[in-house]
Amino acid sequence: MDSVLLRQYVTEETIASDPWTDDALLYQPYEAEQILLAENASCLSVKAYLKMCNLPFGVKSAANAEFMSPGGRMTKLPFVKVGAFVVAEFEPIVNLVESKGVSLSKWLDEDQKSDMRAYISLVEKIFTCAEIYISFADDEVLRQVTYPRNGCVYPWPLNVFENIKKRRNMLRQLNVYGWGNMTLDDVVQKVAKCCETLVEKLGNEEYFYGNRPTELDAVTFGHLFTILTTNLPNNVLAEKVREYKSLVRFCQNIDKKYFNPQKST
Amino acid sequence: MGGKESKEVLRQPEAPARSSRRTRRELDLSVCPARVDQIHVSGLDRTRDDYVRRVAQGLFKAHTFQDVLIECNKARNHLIDLGIYKDIHVLIDVSRGPDATPNGYDVTFSGTEFPRLLGSVGTEVGQNEGSFTVELATPNIWGRGERLSLQGSYSNSKTSDVMLKLSKPFFHRELGDYKPEIALGLFRHATLMPVSAYKTSNVGLLGEFTFLLPFSIAHSLQYEMAFREVSTLGKQSPFFVREHCGPRMASLLRYVVSHDQRDSNVFPTRGFYVKLTNEYSGLGGNISYMMTNIHTEISATLFAGISAQLTSRVGYLQSVNKNNPEPPIGSLYTLGGPLTLRGFKFGGVGPHTDGYAMGAHSYWATGIHLWAPLPFNRYLGRFSNNFKTHLFYNFGNCNSFSSDKMRSAAGLGLAIRLAERARIEFNYCFPLLKQAGDRTHPGFQFGIGYEFL
Repeated sequence: MDSVLLRQYVTEETIASDPWTDDALLYQPYEAEQILLAENASCLSVKAYLKMCNLPFGVKSAANAEFMSPGGRMTKLPFVKVGAFVVAEFEPIVNLVESKGVSLSKWLDEDQKSDMRAYISLVEKIFTCAEIYISFADDEVLRQVTYPRNGCVYPWPLNVFENIKKRRNMLRQLNVYGWGNMTLDDVVQKVAKCCETLVEKLGNEEYFYGNRPTELDAVTFGHLFTILTTNLPNNVLAEKVREYKSLVRFCQNIDKKYFNPQKST
Repeated sequence: MGGKESKEVLRQPEAPARSSRRTRRELDLSVCPARVDQIHVSGLDRTRDDYVRRVAQGLFKAHTFQDVLIECNKARNHLIDLGIYKDIHVLIDVSRGPDATPNGYDVTFSGTEFPRLLGSVGTEVGQNEGSFTVELATPNIWGRGERLSLQGSYSNSKTSDVMLKLSKPFFHRELGDYKPEIALGLFRHATLMPVSAYKTSNVGLLGEFTFLLPFSIAHSLQYEMAFREVSTLGKQSPFFVREHCGPRMASLLRYVVSHDQRDSNVFPTRGFYVKLTNEYSGLGGNISYMMTNIHTEISATLFAGISAQLTSRVGYLQSVNKNNPEPPIGSLYTLGGPLTLRGFKFGGVGPHTDGYAMGAHSYWATGIHLWAPLPFNRYLGRFSNNFKTHLFYNFGNCNSFSSDKMRSAAGLGLAIRLAERARIEFNYCFPLLKQAGDRTHPGFQFGIGYEFL
């Protein structure tokens, strides 16, 4: 048994240290019809991160992307396929990229690095939970947006079944993170607090750590930009985030620079 | 018991007619006139009267005593088929009373009805697996043979099955001879496929209509609506399996025809068996395919207890609607293993990626067997009839109906019969033809199941 594990470990390490291949693919649900708020945010974070690293990747939409994923802690999405490697969610993908010798935060010192990791997990947790909360615990959003989108890839009556299953799983996940008994006001409060911390961290700089982007910039951009640009029947989150002008400016900068380069020139 | 009673009754009309000859001789029952005056069906508590009425149909037409005996036996089988009696006895007596005719008889069926609730626990043999089963049933709910049953089974290969089924026979109607029966069921079926590193879970609804047509051809028309979910068996699952993952819905019609003429299910020595399954999936849902499977078995007795058997199986699956994605991996065929192409690992024939079977869209396979009883069989007693030896040659192919790139294996082995249900085989196999990527299993191979090639 030991030797099997060891062999698996060795092969994984060798594959992992191979350079990034050009045929890397990022899998996500269909963006226009299917993807949900939290999934969209995490997909955008990873895309921003890969663009900041200047790594080539293709985007592939698959209706069953969530089920193809090897799994993760929050949304299980997106996942990337690089050579024989399949890795899901922001932090594991960052680790994979770093094992290939590419890193956005090489120039930070150790203190800053651990500081950044703490920010990343804070931002990911607070925003993902808030996005899941508004999608599944707010009745209006649930009926008008989440259910039709989540169920659109399934024929009736499977869509009803899958919607109920998905909602149950998501509410359970909120319970795990201690968000089960919160009201919408509590959630908005949490988001506001997180935004305040970020505003403080950002100051008047272009990025959180001066003039070069880091993983924290990618993950913050992914979540904030998605919240800002997604139109929901209940727009409290977007309204709250919009109050923080420097964060809105931060998002616009990254969007211009990495997603619409022709506009910035 | 019925036979003993009838002899006593018989002597009385016979004795005065042929009193001159007192020598013992055999009776020819077919010339004894007889007529059934009355039929009593006793022991009916919950059962409705009209449900057993057809029992009278044949008996009242009997003209000789032989007819009466034959019809009694038929009627008894009919009553057993109705699924209301736990046990049943037949009593034939001369009819008495003012309405009695000269050659009249009374026939009485007496039995005990099933209790309200039946339960059973047991083990069962599946295809290359053994399983533990539990069943709870309430027979004859509303008095006309309706049966509600809940069945669960769990096998050593981690396959689990739960089924809640309500069935209703229509054996008492005019078309009762064709054994029409309808059933409605809810099921949950989960399977693990380590050779392809996936597991499936099927949850659904099944409606079934079965009937028998002349020449004992059994038909079954089924509608199934199922949520089928494929998921990975962990991180090692290859990418082609991941592409199949996720829930999908099948809405399908299935038509099964079978005809069984064999003298035994497990060790047939003559007769043939054909089973044809047609499936059309795509009435709603997002799994669409058309599938045909044929299984045939022909056996013939040669000499000295030796018999020859030719078995074959063909399967073909075709996508029908291009708008839907390809059929999921759980619907595809796997070939190879001790029940199909011996000498290969289970699922070991066909395309593989990273060592995992990808499944095939079509296959054909045949087996030629020479069966012989154990040597010195006659000195070993009846128990040795449960053993047979065989020489076999299996060949087949998948994703192609030609014999190019064919796979084949030969060998010899010992087979053991488990009741009249299943058999165990110990074979020594020599894979003869194999293709790149196939996983062979030369040497000893063990198989257990109820349908072999």
